[in-house]
Formats: sequence, C-alpha cells, structure tokens
Amino acid sequence: MDNRIPDVSPTTSDAPADFEVALVSLNQWQLAWRRFRRHKLAMFGSGLFLTFVAIAVFGPFILPYDATNVPYPLKFCPGTTISANLGCPPLNGGHLLGTVGGTQEDLLTLVVNGSRLSLAIGIGAAAFASVLGAIVGGISGYFGGWVDTILMRIVDVLLSMPLLFVIIVFAKVFGYGDWRVILLVFALLGWPAIARLVRSLFLTLRTEVFVDAARAVGVSDMRIIFRHILPNAMSPIIVVTTLSVAGFIVTEAFVSYIGYGVNAAYSPTWGNILSNAQNDILVGNWWWPLFPGLAIVLTVLGINFMGDGLRDALDPRSRE
Amino acid sequence: MIKYVVRRTIQAIPVLFLITVFTFLLMHVGGNPAQRFAQNAKVTQAQIAAFEHRWGLDDPLPLQYCKWLGVCGDKPIVVNALPPALGGGDNGIVHGDFGYSTFDGRLVTDVIAQRMLPTLILTVTAYLIWVTIAILAGVYAAVKRYSLFDSGLTIFNYVGYSLPTFWLGLMLITFLSVPPLRWFPASGMNDPYTTPAFGTNSYWVFFGQNPFFAIFDLGRHLVLPVLTLVTVSIAGDSRFVRSSMLDSLNQDYVKTARAKGVPERRVILRHALRNALLPVITNVGLEIPFLFSGAIVTETIFAWPGMGRQFIESVGHTDYPVLMGILLIAAVSIVFANLLADVLYAVVDPRVKYD
Repeated sequence: MDNRIPDVSPTTSDAPADFEVALVSLNQWQLAWRRFRRHKLAMFGSGLFLTFVAIAVFGPFILPYDATNVPYPLKFCPGTTISANLGCPPLNGGHLLGTVGGTQEDLLTLVVNGSRLSLAIGIGAAAFASVLGAIVGGISGYFGGWVDTILMRIVDVLLSMPLLFVIIVFAKVFGYGDWRVILLVFALLGWPAIARLVRSLFLTLRTEVFVDAARAVGVSDMRIIFRHILPNAMSPIIVVTTLSVAGFIVTEAFVSYIGYGVNAAYSPTWGNILSNAQNDILVGNWWWPLFPGLAIVLTVLGINFMGDGLRDALDPRSRE
Repeated sequence: MIKYVVRRTIQAIPVLFLITVFTFLLMHVGGNPAQRFAQNAKVTQAQIAAFEHRWGLDDPLPLQYCKWLGVCGDKPIVVNALPPALGGGDNGIVHGDFGYSTFDGRLVTDVIAQRMLPTLILTVTAYLIWVTIAILAGVYAAVKRYSLFDSGLTIFNYVGYSLPTFWLGLMLITFLSVPPLRWFPASGMNDPYTTPAFGTNSYWVFFGQNPFFAIFDLGRHLVLPVLTLVTVSIAGDSRFVRSSMLDSLNQDYVKTARAKGVPERRVILRHALRNALLPVITNVGLEIPFLFSGAIVTETIFAWPGMGRQFIESVGHTDYPVLMGILLIAAVSIVFANLLADVLYAVVDPRVKYD
C-alpha cells in the first residue's frame, strides 16, 4: 500500500514558469491540471466517477419508479409463466435491469438510489478521515517530542489491528443501520494511515526556511501548521484521499452485505442490495447481484484511474 | 545486528500492551453479552445477574481487564496453557489462556484451534498460488515491457484491484455453481451428503478410509474461494513486482553487466532479479498475518468454517472472549510480521543501516 504514496514535492505558490509555457505564468495547480488533462486514463476515470456522481444526484428524480414502492405486484413475469415473486430478468416489462425478488422493485431504481448513500459514505468518510489524519499528523510532525510519541503509538496500535474486523465490531455496536454512524465509524478508524503520511511530510517541511521565517515574525504554531506547512503537503494528501474513497465504498458494501451496515429498510445502498440478492442466487437470479456490483466496480475503477492520474499530475517526479 | 533485533522487539512491547487495552475496550463498548437475553421473557433479572456474576461482568472494568490479562489472578505469571483439569482455562492471556466463549462455554483456545486448520488450508493454498503467479507475471511483464502481455497484465491489475472480493465471490457462485453450469460447490469444505463435517472425528476416520475421495472433495470446494483470493491479490502484488523489476533493470550494474557481455538471460536472472526480489520479499512477508487472521470476506461468502467466519459469527453472538482472542492473534501477528520484515530487510540489504 505504501508504494501508492508519492514523494513530497514542496513547491511555492508562484513557481517560475517553466520553459514549455515560457510566456504564460501558471501556478502549480494550473500546471497540474494541464498534466492531468493530458492523462487519458485519468480523464476517462474522472468521467466515469463524475457520471456516477451525476446519477446519484439527478437519477432518482428522472427514473419513473419509486425506490420503495411498487405500483402493482405481478403474478408472472410479462410474457412468461415464471413467478414474478422471484424477480424478473432484465429488459422485461419496462424494467431495464429487471426486478428483484420478493418486493418486485425495479433493480435500476434501486441501484440508482443506492448510489446516493454508497457515494456519500465513500466520499464523506474519506474526506473526514483525511481531515483528522492531517490534524493529528500535522501536530505530531510539527511538535515532535512526547506529543509525537504518544500520537504515533496510538497510530501504531490502530494500524496493527485488522481494520475490517474492528470496523465490523463498531458498525454492529453503534451502527443500528444508520448511515451517518457508519460514515463516522469509517472515518474514526481510517485516519491513522493518513496521519502517518502527513507526519512524514511535516518532518521534512518543518525544517524549511519559510517555517523559520514565519516563526521569526511571530506567527502562531497552529497558523504555521495549517496555513504555512499544510498547503505544501497537499498533493500527496489529495492523492491518498481520492484513492481511499474507493476503499471506503468497497468497505461499506461489504459491511452492509453482512448486515451490519446501512439498513435496507432505511435506504438502499449497493451493499445492502447485494445482501438481499444473495438469498436468491441459488435460484439463478444472476442480474440481481450483477448490476449493483458492476456499479461498485466501475466507480472504484474510475476513482483508481483518477487517483493514479492525480499522482502523476501533482508530483511529476513520480512518473515512470 | 543482534542489538537492532533486540531493540526492535523491546519497542514492540508497549504496542502489544496498548493492543490488549484497545482490544479489551473495543469489546466492552460492544456491550454486555447478557444483552442477548434482554428480549427473552423467560429469563429473569436474577438469572441475568447470575450470568453476569459467573462471567465476572459485574466487576469494575479495570479489574476485568486485569483478570483477562492474567496479572490479577492468584497464579504466578508463567505461561500456563494447560487444560482446565490441570489448572488452565481462564488464567488470563499472559498464561496463554483466552477464557471461555460466552456463547457455548467452550475454551476460546479450542474454538480458535478448530477454526485454524480450515483457514490455513484456504489461505496457504491461495497464498502460494498468488505469490508464485504474481512474481512470474510481474517479472515477465517488466522484462517484456510494452509487450502485449505487459499491457494485458496492467489492465488485469486495474480491474482486479477494483473488484470487491465479496462481489467476485458472489459472481463466481452465481455463474459457476448454480444451474446451468454447477461446476463447483458454492459453500463449505466438503459435500454434506457423502462425507461427515470437516474437523469432526468421524471426518478423520472417513479421511483415513477414502483419502483420495476426501482430498478430491476438499479440492473441489477449494476452487472458488482460492480463485477469488488469487484474482484480487495477484493484482496488487504483480504490479509491485513489475515496478521493482523495472527499477532494478534500470540500475547501472545491469548496464555494466550487459556492457561486459554477460548473456541477457544471466543478466536478468542473476543481476536484476536477485536485487528486485528484496523489496518483494518484504512486501510478501507483510501479507503473512493474513494467513492466520483468515480471509474474513472470502470465508463469509463461501461459508468456509475458518477464523474469519468464526469472527463474524461471534460478532453476531456478542461473544467477546472469542472476538478478543481472534483480534489479538491477528494484531500480534501483524506486529511480528512488521518486525520480521524490518529485520529481514536489514539482513538482506547491506545498504540499510540498523543502528
């Protein structure tokens, strides 16, 4: 995992324009955006991910069916003698991805509605974990000494625990199927890896001259940490945060799948759709587990492409 | 060197201690095992109190921790993992005792021991296969850089890395073990119609009588879980091997070897590969804890009776002595694998200073 973390690249906000762009002065973010735009896979991945975000935001308003309400339960799948109670295959009676067994809900509607919480938990938990990690790692790396020792021992302990095991216990105990609690649990257990990364960045950056300069004119420690050093450590943090969105989406799906995540009665997520699907796998309802899983795979693939592109764009030295 | 090993081991002690504290607290925020009687109208308040007293749940938390650790007991602090008849049982973890399961009253060490073999059968088989394939594929892709194989592997890695393990397992079941194909069984370790349950005495008797059939049956049940684990794990590892091998192929000593006319085959195998494998060994070594803690996801999907599945079952039963036992074994093996990887790296790479 550690090989995904790029090197530190301290850059100042008004770096001299390089030769390629001799006449236009671009700051580091504009340069990064240029490199990112040329990265085909990254653009493709971002497109994929943004499509799913758009589906999550607008999809439920466009689709004709309601996620939790079936207008008229059928006895048989249209045109066949198969009991509709087991769900109907795709492209059947106006259901593009088919219907699920039992409640006979439209699978497309479920997957689209499920994308909301799956993405919200993934993005929210990753963002929150990064903020926590940046605070702890920043304080630890900047101050050093006993503060550093204590915080890093806590990080060591949390990183020595098998994360998924601990998440399952917490999700079961506190979760009660509430997605907000699940998000919090993920964030509160997911920050140590980012804290360790931020600390290592701070250890190098705190010896830079601009930190001494800031301290000399009496800038407060907190301001030095968050306004002077942190912006210079932003690139690797952004990359790791992006990639961890994918990790949290998969974790949510598994935790919901085994029944300790978001309650299906409360709201669909990709994980709990799969959880309900598993009972009917043995009767051959392949479409039910297939499509929510494909949604996860495509989203995660998009995020991974995007993360790799961001790494190349933000830290040009890390390119092969 | 020895000083380094000793110092690293001593550094691990506070972490191990904090791990026990964290594990203990984690389980106690997890609620009281007596809660599972709360919905049962036939269980009286007095019975719940008796249950709590029996398991020491009415002691103050620090005392419970101390007893679990085995420091507050009346026995001397030596490893005392004897069976209950000889004074073992719940003397605390420093004695090698993890106490009793609050779900079925068995010794936690027995519960874990029973689940260890299935987990090892699954994880070790998968591990050997995926490490071998990952190294071969990664090295070949690096040597034949930009070839069709290399691009194919890159695509496979991206997809494999993005596949959620449990969904891959579900899909394999959906398409390979359900009609019309029905090639492989979907769950368990053996066929319940022809063989006794795995791990029971009658199973081993049966195993002795029909060894070929029993092994064939076990192998058939292994296919899908192993395929799942191998697919998702090759992705990360072969990518690592490939980039390590590429690094190594770009080193000056490889150019020197080529320049002085060493045959290409020898350059790759003796000069590049040997150095490329150093980081790979550490990386692969860090995956060893997984062999013991079990493939929680895969075991759940395929109803494989291993440690991971036991963990999920025990979470359902709020059976925290078992949960603490499994978590502790997993965490301790992670700490030791890290230690081992650091030491190993210092041994094989003379550039690493260990003072």
